[in-house]
Amino acid sequence: MRGRVPGAELVGTEVTSVLQLKNVHKAFAGVPALAGIDAALADDAYISLLGPSGAGKTTLLRVIAGFEQPDGGGSPLAGRRLDGRPPHERGIGFVFQNFALFPHLSVAQNIAFGLENRAVGPVTDRKVVAARVRDIIGLVGLSGLEDRAVTQISGGQKQRVALARTLVTEPSMVLLDEPLGALDANLRTRMRGELRTIRERCGVTFLHVTGSESEALAMGDTVLVLDRGRIAQSADAGTLYSRPASADVARFLNCYNIFSGEIAGDSFRSPVGTLALGGLRQTSGNPAYAIRYDRVSIRPGDAAAAGDEVRIEGSFVASEYSGAAINSFFPLDDGRVFEVETHLSHAAPEAYEERGRYALVWKREDALVFV
Amino acid sequence: MTMAATSHDTPDETAQTEIRRQPDRTYWLLAPGVLWMLLFLVAPILMMVYVSFWTQTTFKIEPTLTLKSWITFFTSDTYLGALWTTIRIWLIVLVSTLLVGYPAALFVGLFVRNKTLSTALLVLCVIPFWTSFLIRVLAWRPMLGKEGAINMILMKLGVVTQPIEVLLFSELSVIIGMTQIYCVFMVGPIAFMLGRIDPSVIEAAQDLGAGFWRIFRTVILPLSMPGVVVGAIFVSVMVLGEFATSAALSGRKVNLLGNIIVTQVGSLKWAFAAVAGVVLTILMGAVVAALLRVVDLRKEL
Repeated sequence: MRGRVPGAELVGTEVTSVLQLKNVHKAFAGVPALAGIDAALADDAYISLLGPSGAGKTTLLRVIAGFEQPDGGGSPLAGRRLDGRPPHERGIGFVFQNFALFPHLSVAQNIAFGLENRAVGPVTDRKVVAARVRDIIGLVGLSGLEDRAVTQISGGQKQRVALARTLVTEPSMVLLDEPLGALDANLRTRMRGELRTIRERCGVTFLHVTGSESEALAMGDTVLVLDRGRIAQSADAGTLYSRPASADVARFLNCYNIFSGEIAGDSFRSPVGTLALGGLRQTSGNPAYAIRYDRVSIRPGDAAAAGDEVRIEGSFVASEYSGAAINSFFPLDDGRVFEVETHLSHAAPEAYEERGRYALVWKREDALVFV
Repeated sequence: MTMAATSHDTPDETAQTEIRRQPDRTYWLLAPGVLWMLLFLVAPILMMVYVSFWTQTTFKIEPTLTLKSWITFFTSDTYLGALWTTIRIWLIVLVSTLLVGYPAALFVGLFVRNKTLSTALLVLCVIPFWTSFLIRVLAWRPMLGKEGAINMILMKLGVVTQPIEVLLFSELSVIIGMTQIYCVFMVGPIAFMLGRIDPSVIEAAQDLGAGFWRIFRTVILPLSMPGVVVGAIFVSVMVLGEFATSAALSGRKVNLLGNIIVTQVGSLKWAFAAVAGVVLTILMGAVVAALLRVVDLRKEL
């Protein structure tokens, strides 16, 4: 029993997971924010947590960090129970959306803060502090800015200071709350790569919260999708994109046309007509039919569909050019807008006639059917 | 083409001259303020310095320049004593308003996260100011007196058998009265600065492993220093110029520079009053300058 962290209870855990969430609940004034979260976060991995605003992302992060107490459920970290422990005893790093740097301290002083001031095992030797600060400044690429005031550096540099300040304390895992939200678009793309590189260099699990599906897919080795206080899906980016577990997950991915309706024999009855079935069926509890934007081809209105195809009609209104692809919008007969993504590497963009009638055709097996 | 160019140039030029003329015109905005200050602040101060060198006899004062009043001031135990008393009371009141005010400001500015509630609490601090200064000072007499509320309660409780006489008409009563009156000037600026601290900065410090006292010493206190300095300037300027509280609560036992000035003016000794006034002004200037050196307010606010 010697050598154990005081107050820590060993609980059964897989070797590879750094944090396990078991049925974590949290409600604010009776409104549930987290409705039973179950997840195991892998060690040494980049994990994105995707969800629309109000899904409970920030609440979950704050519960893990210890800023909020869960109403029920547990979150053992590397085998130690965390519930009820104050934030400063958890060994979890938190990178705030607005960076929350100490405005009265320099870059180096900000980074040294945790080492010098933590209640558990502070580093008192100034030389050790200076050496570790120097190492981490090199790691995040801030060399030369040590003595600058944090009010005099750019957004990307502040982000690095916030990250370095946390990493220097060697946390078991790092929580990042929309870390790229405060940066401009160019910098955001660059920091995506940097964050992954920095994480690989220190081998700590990052849990990255974001509302952007492209960011979640690009960054995460694993993507957790949070919906209405529950984990709706946990998968790698490829699986998530091609096989979302439910119509709601497909909706967040922002790349599926979704129809509600019901299964009738081997067809799907939807407001836009009866769609023949042939693809994979997945159980999700909420019947829906989904087809990816880029699986649809646009043909003249009088073209018929082949035997293994599904065909609906819509009239063209507008298209949006995004460089490598062009997205065209077709209102269907029930008023909903159907979106088609055409990759320009395959063909030059075609000019469609405004208000013209077109056939929208896809292969039966390309559709996802939720039952 | 030329026509077009010319008609283009003219409005451009007018616009430019207008911008160039702007600074001259904006200076006029300062005129009323500057005029007021010159007439009613700078001129009287210069006059005060001048009068302090006039010749004072028992019944009249003559504009013959002499150092006599200054020599009298710095060789008299009464006047020097008043100077030291002023400095001592100022320091004690400054520390006591800080000790009473900082925790209150910490509560209002940092721990009450509801903006409406914290504003309401600050308004509560100001409510005593709805009564006149004199009433606020005199109200301490029935509180602190020999047969006052505090002594009565203590005797009823059996804590003391004899009334505590030092409570009223002593230096202590002056300090108690001033601390109560000026405390709010300390609370306000500090609560304002504390209210501006981003809560996530404190959470970040917690997350990095620091306990409450560490966070207070390394984050909260330094970030609230501008508020402390502004509050200290308010309290200092007001306490150094005080005479009414000590007149009402000390039973003439505590003489501040302000009281000296009042007495000297009362007995028409303008030259002595002017010397005390100049000394007091220099003292205030030095105190404010010293406080401003503690924190660079222009950078922080």
